[in-house]
Amino acid sequence: MTNFNWNIDGSIVGLYLLATMLAGLWVRKYVSKVDHFLVAGREMNVYLGIASLAATEFGIITCLYTAQAGYKYGFSGATPGLIQALAMLMIGATGFCIKPLRDSGVVTIPELFEKRFGSRIRWLAGVVIVLGGLLNMGMFLRVGGEFLVLVVGFDVGYLRVTMTVLLAAIAAYTILGGMLSVLVTDFLQFVVMSAGLLAVTFLILGSIGWDRLVTAVETHHGVGGFNPFLHKDLGPSFVIYQICIQTAATLTWQAVTARLLAAKDSRTGRKVFTGAAFFFFARFLVPGLWGIAALAVLAGGWMEPLTADMQRDPSLYAMPVFLSRFVPVGLMGLLVAAMLAADMSTDSSYMLTWASVIYNDILAPFRRTRAMTERRGLLWNRFIVAGIGIYLLVFGLWYKLEGDLWTYCTITGSVYLSSMSVLLIACCYWKRANSWGAVGAIVCGAVFPLGFLIMQKIPATAELTQRIGPNYSGIAAYAAAALAMFVGSCLKPASPQDPGISPG
Amino acid sequence: MYKWLWGMLVTACLIWYSTITVYVAVRGLVDIRAMLRRIRSTAQP
Repeated sequence: MTNFNWNIDGSIVGLYLLATMLAGLWVRKYVSKVDHFLVAGREMNVYLGIASLAATEFGIITCLYTAQAGYKYGFSGATPGLIQALAMLMIGATGFCIKPLRDSGVVTIPELFEKRFGSRIRWLAGVVIVLGGLLNMGMFLRVGGEFLVLVVGFDVGYLRVTMTVLLAAIAAYTILGGMLSVLVTDFLQFVVMSAGLLAVTFLILGSIGWDRLVTAVETHHGVGGFNPFLHKDLGPSFVIYQICIQTAATLTWQAVTARLLAAKDSRTGRKVFTGAAFFFFARFLVPGLWGIAALAVLAGGWMEPLTADMQRDPSLYAMPVFLSRFVPVGLMGLLVAAMLAADMSTDSSYMLTWASVIYNDILAPFRRTRAMTERRGLLWNRFIVAGIGIYLLVFGLWYKLEGDLWTYCTITGSVYLSSMSVLLIACCYWKRANSWGAVGAIVCGAVFPLGFLIMQKIPATAELTQRIGPNYSGIAAYAAAALAMFVGSCLKPASPQDPGISPG
Repeated sequence: MYKWLWGMLVTACLIWYSTITVYVAVRGLVDIRAMLRRIRSTAQP
């Protein structure tokens, strides 16, 4: 039972989809070079950058895992957002790492590493970024499809069709227009998404009331629902892990740095960071309130529309089931359009961002041996984006999620965030850093999160992973990457030929 | 105290988000036009 009305809400969604597709396809005529396709000719200004960054970093998957955090941990679930907002603000204000990164004129972070650590490190960094990034993105399409199926009220049997249609719409303009289409559609998507998010939140606060939300958190989570240090499932290890991952993500998350590198100059890039900082708190808090509202309102038997597979962890689906019954006709259309906007902007940006690393860094050795024309380079990029789309469809249908969604996202992200953040800081500010340290950091940073994911799937070690927990495994990845960089760099004899870059 | 703290954070967040949405919606459009104009001029031989 859902409030979605096909005539009224369906028309709103259809109109939004039509406008986005037309805008995305219209700007493809401006794309004549690889540089236009990957970094929009480096012509992005501050406000477009803020809109694009905010839209990219908020997808249906974000909405679901932040709402799940609100449902499972109360207000404490918004802690990662608060930490990332502070990290964005400080890094944007000081220019720490991001100034030398943008000033270097590179297209991707591994390209910067080549200047300091050599071409092999660039290639290896590219591989580990794509590995972590594609694993991280693997659940996007499935989760987006599940949300739409539940809110619109489709039979869950239509999940594959929903996923395929969603992917085809996104891939069409991303393949043709690259970063230019992504930026223009991101802007439209930011406006629609924000309007929907705010309207639904004000409706929840007006109808359910602040007091009822607070009471629900107190009843289910006690004081731990307000203070992450006191929550039985979170605690200090969770906060420390979040400080590591949110700082690393602000510095090296490819989708974030793609906006920095598409900016006109480092000053513009820094302004985008400070201007968008508070949004990173809002993206956790706003859907977190929706999850808390689901906790306050949903009564027994709400799980009926869920499949047996979804009922393994129903907390992920509490918010969409709640919204499908709570949001009235008309506003439901805006909500679905907003969520589609959020998902399309995220999926398109992520497809492009991992494609840029594959083309720019993993294929770099092959491009050196065979000169590539702009036309051929564009064709390659388009094929890579299409290939990532197919991967999303297959992985999303095949992979079974263990634990909560946010944990999966942080573990897969840590595969490369741990090492890349260490490499970037060392590359910009530590003269002694060298390729031995870089290799050590990349290997050690990837071993812990990948080992954790694999051990989760092996029956004999699954219980051990539950005892260790994702927080300690994640912290270990960051500590090991930093230690390996230090030890490896100190072990390699210093050479006057070692290349270096100056911090800006 | 926690309830008041979160109450203030939610209020600040919603006021900031509502304001920045309107502001970015207007200024972002200007940025798009300028970006496309510059790309068109640099793409010409």
